[in-house]
Amino acid sequence: MLPLYVPLIVSALLAVFGFMIASRRAVSVSGGDARTLSSLPRQYGLNTALSVIIPTSVAVLIGLMVSSLGSLLPWIVLAVAIFGFAYSIARITPEFRARRYAEAWIKLVLIAASAVAILTTIGIVLSMLFETRHFFAQYDWKAFFFSTEWSPNFRGNSALGIIPLLWGTFYISLIALAFAVPIGLFAAIYLSEYASRRMRSVAKPAIEILAGIPTIVYGLFALITVGPFLRDHFSQPMGFGDSASSVMTAGLVMGVMLIPFVSSLSDDIINAVPQAMRDGSLGLGATKSETIRQVVIPAALPGIVGAILLAASRAIGETMIVVLGAGAAARMSMNPFEAMTTVTVKIVSQLTGDTDFASPETLVAFALGLTLFAITLMLNVLALYIVRKYREQYE
Amino acid sequence: MKDTHMQNSKISAKGVQVYYGDNHAIKDVDVEIADKTVTAFIGPSGCGKSTFLRCLNRMNDTIDICRVTGEIKIDNEDIYNPKVDPVQLRAKVGMVFQKPNPFPKSIYDNVAYGPKIHGLARNKAELDEIVENALRKAALWNEAKDRLNSPGTGLSGGQQQRLCIARAIATAPEILLMDEPCSALDPIATAQVEELIDELRQSFSVVIVTHSMQQAARVSQKTAFFHLGNLVEYDDTTKIFTNPENPRTESYISGRIG
Amino acid sequence: MTHKSLLKVDARTKKRNAAEKRFKTYGFAAIIVSMLALVTLLTSVIGTGASAFKQTYATVTVQLPEDKLDKSGVRDIDVMKKVTTIGYAKILNQGLTDTVAATGIATELSTKDIGGMLSKEAAATIRDHILANPDLIGQEVTLDLLMNGRTDGYFKGRVTMESAALDSNTSPEELALAQALADADIVHTKFNWAFLTNPDASDQRPEAAGLGVAILGSLYMMIIVLVVSLPIGVAASIYLEEFAPKNRWTDLIEVNISNLAAVPSIVYGILGLAIFINFMEFNQSSPLVGGLVLSLMTLPRIIIPARAALKSVPPSIRDAALGVGASKMQSLFHHVLPLAAPGILTGVIIGLGQALGETAPLLLIGMVAFVREYPAAYTPDAGLFGEASTALPVQVFNWTQRADPGFVERASGAIITLLIFLLIMNAVTIFLRRKFERRW
Repeated sequence: MLPLYVPLIVSALLAVFGFMIASRRAVSVSGGDARTLSSLPRQYGLNTALSVIIPTSVAVLIGLMVSSLGSLLPWIVLAVAIFGFAYSIARITPEFRARRYAEAWIKLVLIAASAVAILTTIGIVLSMLFETRHFFAQYDWKAFFFSTEWSPNFRGNSALGIIPLLWGTFYISLIALAFAVPIGLFAAIYLSEYASRRMRSVAKPAIEILAGIPTIVYGLFALITVGPFLRDHFSQPMGFGDSASSVMTAGLVMGVMLIPFVSSLSDDIINAVPQAMRDGSLGLGATKSETIRQVVIPAALPGIVGAILLAASRAIGETMIVVLGAGAAARMSMNPFEAMTTVTVKIVSQLTGDTDFASPETLVAFALGLTLFAITLMLNVLALYIVRKYREQYE
Repeated sequence: MKDTHMQNSKISAKGVQVYYGDNHAIKDVDVEIADKTVTAFIGPSGCGKSTFLRCLNRMNDTIDICRVTGEIKIDNEDIYNPKVDPVQLRAKVGMVFQKPNPFPKSIYDNVAYGPKIHGLARNKAELDEIVENALRKAALWNEAKDRLNSPGTGLSGGQQQRLCIARAIATAPEILLMDEPCSALDPIATAQVEELIDELRQSFSVVIVTHSMQQAARVSQKTAFFHLGNLVEYDDTTKIFTNPENPRTESYISGRIG
Repeated sequence: MTHKSLLKVDARTKKRNAAEKRFKTYGFAAIIVSMLALVTLLTSVIGTGASAFKQTYATVTVQLPEDKLDKSGVRDIDVMKKVTTIGYAKILNQGLTDTVAATGIATELSTKDIGGMLSKEAAATIRDHILANPDLIGQEVTLDLLMNGRTDGYFKGRVTMESAALDSNTSPEELALAQALADADIVHTKFNWAFLTNPDASDQRPEAAGLGVAILGSLYMMIIVLVVSLPIGVAASIYLEEFAPKNRWTDLIEVNISNLAAVPSIVYGILGLAIFINFMEFNQSSPLVGGLVLSLMTLPRIIIPARAALKSVPPSIRDAALGVGASKMQSLFHHVLPLAAPGILTGVIIGLGQALGETAPLLLIGMVAFVREYPAAYTPDAGLFGEASTALPVQVFNWTQRADPGFVERASGAIITLLIFLLIMNAVTIFLRRKFERRW
């Protein structure tokens, strides 16, 4: 059996030598006068090199996905490389517009690259749909969507209702947004309307640092600092419970994570409100805050709503903070100091460790993932639509 | 400059200098502006006429690098006195801008905005009355009375500018500053606004900056010619346009500079 | 009309100014809260984690009796290997007890308890050392050996006499002895290079756990992300910005890319599990799968800033190139791309930074496994980047799930390491921006 790297090396060599041979040949068919060629000699070379590289890469990629080709794949790759080389060399004449062809190859690559984004989305949807179908073949979909009980049991007979997970997800997101939206919005307002240049040059990067910190760091912060602090100073003394992981812990930490997100989006949006609008209000004798509250904010409202929706989508999809801060118990309670759990936490717990891809307890993670994807997709598309409309209004 | 005797001087400026950072934008301007008169500021672009206008209601305060010295008195009170609150000043000195800038609110709310923040109405009925009066004075009532709740941004350009005038009038100012109010309007809308300005003279002292000499000649009683930050000449409009004293004014009027 | 004096501020204006001041205070408070959150976050993590970079060692003199360590007597390695770490532990217990006795410190602790102050890793350390140098047998060697997590914790302030009294893994007597040994310069603390180079260690020995495998795994994945998402991302943004016709199709691609940038990262983990592991049957826990998942996640985050960078190159540059007869492709590759490069690069580094810190998708593809072997970049069996590995942020998560409190310090220390890498990457972007920033 021919190992795959042999045809790969051969095609790499064909590409390099193809470039040189084609350039030479172009000069020789021109009779030594390169000016009679329709393209530069190196463009003939480029066309040959691309004629080898691109079809070979496509063959390899397809071959890796269609595993039934098996040991035939290296031979196919080799054949494709040699054909691409021979065909492109054979076509070299002074009239051959090598530049056009080379550029067509490049354009093909560019189009293929932008198709990757589409393929990713299709891959996400299909892979989850596929497994979700398996799940619903074994588990009643009504029970999944409408049951309020979540108690997976690897010996079978699990209750896998999503409602308590959604409850935890939305409760935590709500606390996070209740914390992050006013702070982020006020921070953005202060920075764009009030702060001196020096203040801005310190505060803005500081808030941006918050945005650059990985969520695992926030998760650890929730676990070792915020959780114990809330337990020792709030929930235990006030009799709300004695769990360090709680909706409040995860919500507050997630709120901190969202501050820079909300503030930088709002900052862009507030700055898009034309200065003429502010002048109009100030010229009538309004104070700055009256101008902001009654003119700037209402004018920026659609954009701000879009920003909040994007933040909500982030909060709902956030994983590490809730894994480390919220707890694992599927519970529906109003008490924010109790541990609850979320959709993302359960995706992680059902898919890590020893998993059996035939059991509903594992497959449920895909149904959870699909639900999560659907919710965030709706929020994202709605938010993007609103923000886009808003921007067009002031362009 | 000839000292025109004014019994009813509303605004009096002495030795006003304005700096934008290092740029000396207004150089030692003295001017007396009469009540119930339309005063026009003319001059080539960049001559400082708009800058000087924005000194009269302290809109320049909103620009960090702008510095104003000298003395500007309205009704004999120095408006740059630290005791003066610019917010209160601007209620007394209204302003209309170059481009119509209605708020993204209904027509009614646009006009009611000023009276609401200044607390001019005790109840809804009074507010309605203020709004109606302002819209009538701005000659917009007939067009707008049936659509008071539709957004102000849906009006035509000329209507929008009259809405902005109504909005300024509604706060019951004594002086109305207009910064090239017709430069973004078509000729018909311009004519309507100019007509309006003439009527406004009954109740207000109007100061208008314009780049159009014809407009200055049509609407104003007094005209001030600014050039390179200096107030070159200030006199009755008819005198400025027929028999200017300063050769620079004459060059500008006849189209040789500017 | 009555003239109100401007010099007197009326009551309503006073009230309005007070409201203005309040509003401004809210804004300022919001800034303060954000800053405070940042400072608390950093001090909490750094405060807990900084001590991971120091480690307590004991300088122990050990007798290496031939009858116990080499039954063959001819230094036959295979025979020597029969002696397990348990055998070495006994020798170490004796060695440390002798060392204590030599200093003249009185203690009532048993030999076993004294030896227990050393890390369980110490026996493995000395065993490896002897197997590498068989000639040492029969002699006396002096080695720096790891102290156990509790004793180490005592010198870092994590363990106190009070907590030791309640702890079955240590006792106040042991700590007192450790203190006496420290005063006698036998026990000392030094910079913990091993934290950056060692592989992970089992539950019982946090003092030996290191980030070596995790750093290597993260490095492999970053290489994959760079190699995969940089060319694809740049190519896609060139197509979308320069060639794509404006129609419904490109509109769809655009919305799709913006959405992909906002899809929860865990969804990419599910994608990786379903496609790369279940369908294409790549190795679980391998940097290859992790790298590919992170590449797909990073792609939209590279495309968006890259398009912005291309858009910011003024059309006059393109027109100038087209005007001298260059093709669109030539004007692009010769003129536009070089000018957009700093902006594109900045986006790439920021995208890489996000990929470096990403945890959730890696949990689903099995990178949370306990890995002690350094993964090779290529082996004929596992292929390119196919050996099981872990990654920096996943290692943090892994350590938070351990019972021994010593791992909290390790997790925080790992985060400091992660943040330092991110800091370096950000410094590079700032440098690039400063150096190549152009104005037209």
